[in-house]
Amino acid sequence: MPDVTLQALRKDFGSITVVEATDLTFRHGELTALLGPSGCGKTTLLRMIAGLEAPSAGRIRIGTRDITDTPAHVRRFGMVFQSFALFPHMCVRDNIAYSLAIDGAPKAQRRARADELLDLVRLGGYGARRVGELSGGQRQRVAIARALAQSPEVFLLDEPMSALDAKLREEMQVELRMLQQRLGITTIVVTHDQREAMTMADSIVVMSKGRAEQVGPPHEIYHRPRTRFVADFIGKANFIDGVIEGGAVRVGPALIRTTPHAAFIDRSPVTIACRPEATELGAADANGPSGANGLPAEIVFVRDLGPVQEVHLRTSAGMVTVEQAGSARSMALAPGERAFVRFPPEAIRVFPRTVEAAA
Amino acid sequence: MTAIEARALDAAAEHGASVRRPFAWLFAAIVIFLCLVPFLFVIVISFGEKIEGAAWRWAFDATNYRRFFVGADWPATISFLYLQKMWYSLYFAVIAAIVAVLVAFPFAYLITRQSRQAQTLWLIFLLSSLALSEVFIVMGWDILLSNRSGLPMVLRETGVTDWLKAEGYFDTLRAWGLANPRDVRFKTSDFATILTMTYLVFPYAVILLYPGLSRIDPSMVEAARTMGAGPLAVVRTVVLPLVAAPLFGTVLLLFVYLLGVYVAITVFADPAKQTLAVSVYDSVRGATLDAPFGSAQAVILLLTAGGFLGASLWLKQVAERPA
Repeated sequence: MPDVTLQALRKDFGSITVVEATDLTFRHGELTALLGPSGCGKTTLLRMIAGLEAPSAGRIRIGTRDITDTPAHVRRFGMVFQSFALFPHMCVRDNIAYSLAIDGAPKAQRRARADELLDLVRLGGYGARRVGELSGGQRQRVAIARALAQSPEVFLLDEPMSALDAKLREEMQVELRMLQQRLGITTIVVTHDQREAMTMADSIVVMSKGRAEQVGPPHEIYHRPRTRFVADFIGKANFIDGVIEGGAVRVGPALIRTTPHAAFIDRSPVTIACRPEATELGAADANGPSGANGLPAEIVFVRDLGPVQEVHLRTSAGMVTVEQAGSARSMALAPGERAFVRFPPEAIRVFPRTVEAAA
Repeated sequence: MTAIEARALDAAAEHGASVRRPFAWLFAAIVIFLCLVPFLFVIVISFGEKIEGAAWRWAFDATNYRRFFVGADWPATISFLYLQKMWYSLYFAVIAAIVAVLVAFPFAYLITRQSRQAQTLWLIFLLSSLALSEVFIVMGWDILLSNRSGLPMVLRETGVTDWLKAEGYFDTLRAWGLANPRDVRFKTSDFATILTMTYLVFPYAVILLYPGLSRIDPSMVEAARTMGAGPLAVVRTVVLPLVAAPLFGTVLLLFVYLLGVYVAITVFADPAKQTLAVSVYDSVRGATLDAPFGSAQAVILLLTAGGFLGASLWLKQVAERPA
């Protein structure tokens, strides 16, 4: 089966550009998450792929087949909506077999397919129930089964977990991912929850202001964010402003080295980012050669989150958070104590301070 | 909440209820006075006796009801004149109500697909059109359909009438009562009557259908589309079933309203097809001044409407009962 390709796909609503010219490839059999804050254009992008929104410019292709102008009811990509959009006037089985009924499939065939899908989503025996009798999680499974009934080329999900409570959401993320892997269907999920995207996706498209900021596997997105926005949106990060000085970053009296060297000309204003779990905490006198690449700090707040301990510190360049796990919690920490925060060179990302662009 | 607080709340609620109670009684009294008392009067008068050349007197006599069903001269002769009028009341009201809903449904559906602002503007326009009186609307259609200056004239002058004659469609129109030997003729026809009645209730139909249609989750329509349903299939399989109850209710309400239409019938309906509403008015206010017989007809019309409403509610309950 071929990939789904977007070529310079753009969407304007009046004078407002909601999705800027976007080139993306969704590989066959992979689950891609469109991740971003509200209003970043991810749902509009998904709706254009589904055929529910006409693009202002650009093309959508499956392999070499151009489907840009193919209406949604001919395109027939299975879609799960945020509200699930189940038909309340039909029982669960009729909801699932809706696409088959539209095709005029015989009743026995519709029933068999619906029951098969109900078993797939672990709802066997629920076929005769009314939609109103189902819980949130069950509704979501029915919505998934319904979208899969027509064996779509592409499976689209618009914030499918947002109507579920936190515990159920976690369960369904794993369940959906396992189902997708079993069926091997090209899947695109819209979400604003980075944890959800990290749990489920083979590939994440981080979107901001109608643009795809970064595309890549979750590990890469997390550890090698290309823009400050991505570093900020995915997980937590300490941001410290500085100026380039001979391939390192000058932050007040300290010189922070990075690996590889920051490729900026001298005196460029930059921001360094370092994840809290990568940031190291040392004693106040650890400012020797091995303990360099950091800033003296004062502990202002400590909280224990079970698996990790979170330490908030004040430095001359602003607040810094350090997360320490397991054996790393050697120091007895108390607010007011002096300490030293160290940013390991290999854990640092450097971004230009004014323009959000690749480091 | 402590026990003291709970008691205080109970006392406050009790006080509120005691304050509200006289208002409830007053409201009930007003409703009884304005609705029930006139209706009781009509029922009582319907059993009254007409004094020839004068008004009427109190009595308890079923003559007026007998006259309605079998005629005044029964058993010497039998006449179903008023049953026939009742039939035309039902005939015009049912057809006009259904046509109005059929036309209003796509219109209201399209309104719900518009932007919020456009929807508001349409609703304001429709609400303001309700201010037009029946007399004004009928006058308008009277001119539009008149033989000399209305649509027949337009068809004649543009050559459509001649074309209809040449193609042989004119004879069909004549057979339908929509043409005289020379020209297309709309006035005094079922067509004109139903058209005007439909026009009268069209804004009501849209306004009654609008809430149900606007409550439909747009993602349901989109979900149907992603599952292969074209626009018509979406309406048939998703939209119509979701608004079946409001649709049914709207037809019923318009039907009951249309049973009482007077001006449109007197102007456009064939004299042989006058309805009970016209007959009631003629009896009460016309040459005979026969209030008791007019009241009897009104009571029967009201009971018929009530019967239809009751039967419909019963049917709805039966339909909604789980199998």
